[in-house]
Amino acid sequence: MFSTIKMAIAVMLITGIAGAGIYVMKLRSDNAILKANQDKLETAITEQNKVLEQQKKDFTAILESNKKLNVLINTFKKDLQDLDKRFTKKNRDIGKLAISRTEAIERIINKGGKNAARCIELASGAEHTEAELKATLKSEINPECPSLANPNYVPYQ
Amino acid sequence: MYHINKILAIAIMIMLTGCSIGGEKKIKIFSVEEPRQKLNYPMPTALQLEELKWIIITSENAQEVFKKLEEAGIDPVLFGITDKDYQVLARNFAQIRQKLQETNNLLEEYKKYYEPEEKQ
Repeated sequence: MFSTIKMAIAVMLITGIAGAGIYVMKLRSDNAILKANQDKLETAITEQNKVLEQQKKDFTAILESNKKLNVLINTFKKDLQDLDKRFTKKNRDIGKLAISRTEAIERIINKGGKNAARCIELASGAEHTEAELKATLKSEINPECPSLANPNYVPYQ
Repeated sequence: MYHINKILAIAIMIMLTGCSIGGEKKIKIFSVEEPRQKLNYPMPTALQLEELKWIIITSENAQEVFKKLEEAGIDPVLFGITDKDYQVLARNFAQIRQKLQETNNLLEEYKKYYEPEEKQ
């Protein structure tokens, strides 16, 4: 009788110790999982922050690019208006002028054609010459496309 | 007999919990993002236009112009446009040039945005 009680107590003790051991191991495993989760969350937050930062940079780049293109399109409009003005300034009639001052107009038109051709070359990606880059006076610029040919020229107001 | 029972009980417990102590190692799968290859096309070659000469011909200088052409060994024939059409032609060329510039600019902006230069 006494030995049976002792046996039961021994079994309970051993089961208790084993259970405690298993519980501790479970706690350790839970802890490891939680730690791994924490690491993953921290990594996710860092990556999200990186994505947000990149998005911010992208938005700024897009805005800047749009601004640049708008400026370019406005310059185009102005260039076309300037071209029209050159033909019609002060009720100028280029036909009549060509009759009265044939040679002079022929010279002007050939020079204009040469300048316009140079503008097309530059628009297709040709490199600027040193003279084009240095031009700051009206007499030095390419009047067909000053904004393209002479980036350092500031039009007089 | 009593000791054998104890040892047996402990052995059974170890056997039951043994699998959960070590266990198999977990396989970890990594995904490494491989950046897309850059297109890296060179920019289009710039145009090199040939020079052409405009001749203004009026009712007064027509004969003189044709005579000069013949003397220079050029066929005495001219392809003409009126002063108004000349203005239209100038405007058209300006628009073509602007479109060329706009397209090139867009190309550069796209390249800059999608293929930024690596920081050294």
